[in-house]
Amino acid sequence: MVSGAIALAFLPLLLTLIIRYRYYFVLFYRAVLVRIWKDCVTGLSREERAYQYVLTHSIPGDPDSILDAFDYWCNKVEYISNIGPKKGKILDRILMEQSPLTVLELGAHCGYSTVRIARALPLGARLYSIEMDQTNAAIAEKILRLAGFDDDTVELIVNPSDEVIPRLRSDYNLERVDFVFMDHWKKCYLPDLQMLEECGLLGKGSVILADNVLFPGAPKFLRYIRKSGLYEWKIHRAMLEYSKGIRDGMAELVFQGIK
Amino acid sequence: MSFIGDEQFEGGNKEKRHREKRRDGSKDRRKRANAKRRERSRADRENEEFEERLVKREKGRRGRVKNDQEAKKREQEEGAGAQVKSGKTAKVKKNIKNEKRRMSEKAGEAGERTEKGKKRVESAKKETATVKHGTRDKTREERKKKHKENSEDKEVKPESLSPDELEKLKEAVDEKKKLIQSLRGKPWPMKKKLVTLESQQFLEKYEGALGKGKGRKLYAYKVMMTKKWMKFQRDFENFKTACIPWEMKIKEIESHFGSSVASYFIFLRWMYGINMILFGLTFGLVMVPEALMGRPYGSIPRKTVPRAEEASAMDFAVLWDFGGYAQYSVLFYGFYSNQRAIGWLKFRMPLSYFLVGVGTVAYSYMVVIRTMARNANESGVGDDNSFNFSWKMFTSWDYLIGNPETADNKFASITTCFKEAILEEQESRKDDNIHLTRFLRVLANFLVLCCLAGSGYLIYFVVRRSQKFALDGFENHTWWERNEVNMVMSLLGMFCPMLFDVISTLENYHPRVALQWQLGRIFALFLGNLYTFIIALMDEINVKREEEKIVKFNITMWEASLYNGTVSENFTASPITIHPADVPRGPCWETMVGQEFVRLIISDTMTTYITLLIGDFLRAVLVRFLNHCWCWDLEAGFPSYSEFDVSGNVLGLIFNQGMIWMGAFYAPCLPALNVLRLHVSMYLQCWAVMCCNVPQERVFKASGSNNFYMAMLLVILFLSTLPAIYTIVTIPPSFDCGPFSGKNRMFDVIRETLESDFPAWFSKVFSYASNPGLVLPFILLMVLAIYYLQSTSKSYKEANVELKKKLQMVIQIMKIILLLPTTVNNWR
Repeated sequence: MVSGAIALAFLPLLLTLIIRYRYYFVLFYRAVLVRIWKDCVTGLSREERAYQYVLTHSIPGDPDSILDAFDYWCNKVEYISNIGPKKGKILDRILMEQSPLTVLELGAHCGYSTVRIARALPLGARLYSIEMDQTNAAIAEKILRLAGFDDDTVELIVNPSDEVIPRLRSDYNLERVDFVFMDHWKKCYLPDLQMLEECGLLGKGSVILADNVLFPGAPKFLRYIRKSGLYEWKIHRAMLEYSKGIRDGMAELVFQGIK
Repeated sequence: MSFIGDEQFEGGNKEKRHREKRRDGSKDRRKRANAKRRERSRADRENEEFEERLVKREKGRRGRVKNDQEAKKREQEEGAGAQVKSGKTAKVKKNIKNEKRRMSEKAGEAGERTEKGKKRVESAKKETATVKHGTRDKTREERKKKHKENSEDKEVKPESLSPDELEKLKEAVDEKKKLIQSLRGKPWPMKKKLVTLESQQFLEKYEGALGKGKGRKLYAYKVMMTKKWMKFQRDFENFKTACIPWEMKIKEIESHFGSSVASYFIFLRWMYGINMILFGLTFGLVMVPEALMGRPYGSIPRKTVPRAEEASAMDFAVLWDFGGYAQYSVLFYGFYSNQRAIGWLKFRMPLSYFLVGVGTVAYSYMVVIRTMARNANESGVGDDNSFNFSWKMFTSWDYLIGNPETADNKFASITTCFKEAILEEQESRKDDNIHLTRFLRVLANFLVLCCLAGSGYLIYFVVRRSQKFALDGFENHTWWERNEVNMVMSLLGMFCPMLFDVISTLENYHPRVALQWQLGRIFALFLGNLYTFIIALMDEINVKREEEKIVKFNITMWEASLYNGTVSENFTASPITIHPADVPRGPCWETMVGQEFVRLIISDTMTTYITLLIGDFLRAVLVRFLNHCWCWDLEAGFPSYSEFDVSGNVLGLIFNQGMIWMGAFYAPCLPALNVLRLHVSMYLQCWAVMCCNVPQERVFKASGSNNFYMAMLLVILFLSTLPAIYTIVTIPPSFDCGPFSGKNRMFDVIRETLESDFPAWFSKVFSYASNPGLVLPFILLMVLAIYYLQSTSKSYKEANVELKKKLQMVIQIMKIILLLPTTVNNWR
């Protein structure tokens, strides 16, 4: 039988682990435990709860107030991995600099980033937003309508991204995408990027912004862009949305084509 | 015919080399003559033009020589392609030069030579011996080829070389030499430098040809030999570097992980060297003589396994605990006999044992202090505060990094360092946050102190408990309970530093400062653990000595009874011979101490290796292979790969060494064990670092930390010699084991030697010298000298600072003076 003294000697290790990874524990608590608890209590999905909150706490037709309501809810009430206010600023800045006319968003989730992109777009620009999940897409649509964006500005496509991308050219008459925002499954970053390349949707100067490349992280994607040489790229380092101590980053790629 | 010529050529290769050099010389002379006539600016252009001219001259000469063979060949070849032509011209040129040199040579011979030369160029690739010459010729020819066509019509007069021109050539060569030497420091654009560097070829070509008359050959030989010698020296240097053990490994690690990790391995290597010498001393002067010349195993009781233990003496568990046969061998103190001299060499075993014990410690002190002094010289005196940003700007790159990832890290760390420094600068002007930082630092220290106190109490508790277990008898307890002390000490030594590391993030120090704090804290922890262990050991020694008294009494009783028994039967008969295994004996506390240290070292080593395998290797494997099927990025995110823990490893090494120093007197096998351990850990850790660790996030240079390690080593050396010396001086040795048995104190062996092995006057002198009246003034003098030296060094340092201030003042004054006219103008 292991004596108590030996067990006590493990106390420093335990303390170290708790202190060092406290942010991860907090995240686990907020994103998983609270979610399960609330799901059981309310019988609604997390996205529906978020929508209810936003509906009651924002001004319809005002994208800013909708985003603020989202941020508040994700910060204080529950956790949804939107792009968040801090990384959102980077996104806004890049959009302002580029003022793209054709924007593709992979992974709309519940519409936070869609609203964020749509409000920064120039006149006449069009945003194609792809969402796989039916219920999420419904909520995203409601949010978009709440924010006052119509079908001309935002086209919401409810299908997995790997099915939609090859058909973009034929079904939606897209010649070239100026800006791509990736925030769906981290595993799909690389195949989707390669698919975009194959379809020839990327032209010289097309910008691709991929969120959460460090946490949860898309190592294969990063390895690929390092190797491929088709892109000029940099990583904007920031913290994970609605969390203080977990480091994350957004990869900004500028398509250069084959030199 | 041509092939024969070829062979001849190969045979006379060496001769030809000289000849060629001479030829070069003649070329050069002519070139100088040309240079006189025409002034040209560029060296390479000069060369080329000169070579054109040569070609022309050769043609003229050819006509004059009117050699039939040569003419024929020329005709043949003129029909051929351009390359053949160029080859021919080169040959012809050489030929002509040769002729010039040797006026007495026959025309036929000259023809032969041309043939040879021609063939040489044509078959340059085939010939192995002449490859060098061939290629050189080729390049020259190519150059000539270019210029041949447009300069064919020009006429060149043949010139003779005057000593005057020779002189000029020499000057030119010297000039170019100087130029090349100072080229690196010249503020020229790179292009110009490269162009100038081309004149090196010129030097190489013509240097050998200098010198006069008969001395020329010798000179050329000399030049060749100096070049060879230089090359040899360079190779030798390379060889020497290759001979430094593990140098390449360490360099590789340095390039991947930065110099702070490498400094650990360099320290490890240094430690290995020291331990090799300690091992050499103990092995060569203590263990081997005793094993070869001392009494063999089983001859006396101390060299025999007692009867009670005989059955289990060869069991692995017993041997692993260094009991049984291992205990009764040269590995431990108790095995050595107290014969004054052993073997046919009359080797003074006890004296040697004592002197080696003292000598190892003395040598260690000497080496550590010498290294510290040397390091102190190397680390220049500079105040880091005055040019903070300049230092960061110009010195923060680690040029030893050779790995892109580390370079990325370093780049990021420099950027953040700048950001932080700027923030710090801003904050230091605001200084409202300083209180928070101070509070956090105090808090961190408080937490660390709590942690230390807790671990100290835990060890104390465990030691007390183990004493209780020992009284009960270990057999009644489980393995866990028996090994509780070692386990708890190892675990605390492993986990507490991690906790300190976490706590130290509160303090927000620069990593270098943080590392030193971390080292200091771990030092305190380890020291506490070690001294708790020693105190426990001291208690045990006292217990053993009590036991010894009883045993001693019992033995006299036993002997008396034995004698009485025999005496009663037969008064005159010799005493019965008893097998040495049956003789009762004392507990021999020295061997016990040695065993404890050996066990501690073994368990420490095992813990280190197991931690390495589990904490680093297993984790790396899991992270690497689970990453394919995990929901987040394991490599970049949560568990990640481990970083190399410099501070913990350094301290582990230092404390390990401390234990060696402490225990080596009672267990001569300790240095050997340590050498083994260091050797293994060198390979194991090199491998582990390269295969399972990632570069630290904040790569920093460890230029100043080496002396910090050394200082800690010195402290540990002092602290570990204290208990050893205390036991040697105060506790009388066991009566029936070890080289000092029967003596009142261990150091009595010195007095004994002085009395019996040295002449009387020597011991007299020694007794005078050791008189307190002489020793005390001597010590006083030393203290005074140290004080004097210290104060002078301090005053020098102050003078340095003063001078620096003056320099800054002067700079400011200069600035004012320079700015003055403009400001005055502005006023006007």
